[in-house]
Amino acid sequence: MRKQYWNEAEMGLWERAYLPEILRGLAITGGVFVRNMFKWMTGRKGALTTYYPEETRWDYAPANRGKHVLTRRADGSPQCVACNMCATVCPAKVIEIEAGFDPADEAHPKYPVRFEIDYSRCVFCGLCVEACPEDAIRMAKEVPDLPAHDRWSMWLGKEELLEWQPQGDVAKPYPPPPPRVPNGDRP
Amino acid sequence: MPRLTIDGREIEAAAGRTVMEAATDAGIFIPYFCWHPKLSVPGNCRICVVGVEDKGGEWVEIACNMPVTEGMVVYTNSEKVRARRKATMQFITLNHPVDCGICDKAGECTLQDYHYEYNGERSISVDAKAHATKHYSLSPRIVLDNERCIQCTRCVRFTREISKSNGLGMQNRADHSLVRAVEDGSFANDPYSDNVIDICPVGALLSRSFLHKARVWYLKPTASVCPGCSRGCTVNLWHRRPEWRLRAPGMRAQNETIDRVTPLENPAVNGPWICNKGRDIAKVLGRARAETAMLKGRPAELQGAIAQARSLIAAARKPVAVVSSWASNEELAAFKAALGARFSVLVKADHEPEPGEVVQDDILIRADKNPNTAGARALFGEAPLALPPDADLVLVWGEGLDFGLIPAGAKIVYLNAWLQPENGHADVFFPTSIQTERDGHYTNFAGVTSAFTQCFPRPAGVADAQALFAALAGQAGGGE
Repeated sequence: MRKQYWNEAEMGLWERAYLPEILRGLAITGGVFVRNMFKWMTGRKGALTTYYPEETRWDYAPANRGKHVLTRRADGSPQCVACNMCATVCPAKVIEIEAGFDPADEAHPKYPVRFEIDYSRCVFCGLCVEACPEDAIRMAKEVPDLPAHDRWSMWLGKEELLEWQPQGDVAKPYPPPPPRVPNGDRP
Repeated sequence: MPRLTIDGREIEAAAGRTVMEAATDAGIFIPYFCWHPKLSVPGNCRICVVGVEDKGGEWVEIACNMPVTEGMVVYTNSEKVRARRKATMQFITLNHPVDCGICDKAGECTLQDYHYEYNGERSISVDAKAHATKHYSLSPRIVLDNERCIQCTRCVRFTREISKSNGLGMQNRADHSLVRAVEDGSFANDPYSDNVIDICPVGALLSRSFLHKARVWYLKPTASVCPGCSRGCTVNLWHRRPEWRLRAPGMRAQNETIDRVTPLENPAVNGPWICNKGRDIAKVLGRARAETAMLKGRPAELQGAIAQARSLIAAARKPVAVVSSWASNEELAAFKAALGARFSVLVKADHEPEPGEVVQDDILIRADKNPNTAGARALFGEAPLALPPDADLVLVWGEGLDFGLIPAGAKIVYLNAWLQPENGHADVFFPTSIQTERDGHYTNFAGVTSAFTQCFPRPAGVADAQALFAALAGQAGGGE
């Protein structure tokens, strides 16, 4: 015996005829489709669908943890000192940093030569931002441009992460450079 | 022998021993910066203070320079001692830049550890920190950061007492004191100079080759034996931890390279030191590898090469083998068991001293630049390397043999790990594994046997010498 549901449809003769109701349903669906298609062809937005990835949502919350941003110093160099705190704390181990040595910059002798994040494994937890002692890594509310054909394309490097420069951030005061020490030569 | 009590434990120590030595022997830990078991006692860091009970009261004194006396009662963790240690830590870190984030020593730094253990507070000083030279080039191998230096003078004493180069000294006094190299370049020419990097309790002395290469917690030490000379110093080979392996495109090879080499303390062989050549042994082990078997210079399948070598061995009337002094005892024993009866065996030196290298000294470095000559000679005798002119098959194992010495017309079976021009001149060539790809033992010139362990997987196509010899002798199992 077929199971009886509480909202069992009560069908009259018209519904039991089957075909008229089917055609009515097709007319509703088709109407919506044609209307959206017409709007789309004339350059207007029909359905509420977001045309991802060409179009991204505008209503991300300000606190949304999206794509990483490497902040810059006033002179445009990355604020990162390649201390690897973010890479160490990262639960997905997606951050890889290769450090370089710049003896000419007294205050920041260590800098990142390579800074890469694998977005195919990133869990967007934000611990890297918490761990950073230099406020060098932040997360924008916009998500990264993820769709790709292979996992290697999901590695974003220093150039991609540095391109966004928050205008309000560079204004913060920097400590004065340490005094030059006269004795001793340098490598 | 005086009996004394340390933290309520009654211990016995030889007369003349210091409280530090007595405590260390009994397994009681007293913190120290400037003290080092192999160096003299300067008593300048004052962190090893202990309390000594006296007439119901307690006075504090440094443990490293205080001889044990009968009935002494010592406290290593009394309230007075803790307060004194904390004050000492505040003093030592007074001008320390606390740039642990960019310091290569962070993670294995004594100052960092002691700060958490004995101080744990911010600096109470209101004065600005004194600045000093950053990145001073102490020698072509070592960079000195004077701001991080705590003037313990361990490095200075090392060059005076251990390496005897007298290459380092202190300039000026107090806040202005600086470790500097002597101007005659004796520190740059000191073949043991890199040991000061290890004994530096802070990140002041840094290896230029390891500078900012990796944070130390990404690396893992694997116990090994330095193949640089017949001393066979035990070393730690530091390489990327498997859980921290690099995955970015193009970075995979980095996971299977040796990032640095440090001594592994071994009183029977090298104590806590190794020479600079041992530090650079990654250059020797990291050379381009041969990874395919070859027949007369043409790439071949390993099984096909084994079959060809077996027929050559079977057909030979006077086969001679020249075995490697870089082979492990296990491989040499496998060779002797499988092929020792068929071949007359000679031992060769794979490496000769290079121009400019310290050939031999009375500290560690030995003239024989091969790790297992003693092990090979113990199995195959002391016969000099002279190939009989009527030899018609020569099996050469390892690099370093001049192929011009092989009698013309003799077939050559060659086993080598490196990519070298001789490989193509052999009738049959087998690529073999290197030390970092297998476990084994070396016996040094004095007969002390030390073990090394595998760090990296064996590359595909490279034969394991032990299995290869069994296969060549016709026993079961291939070279893989």
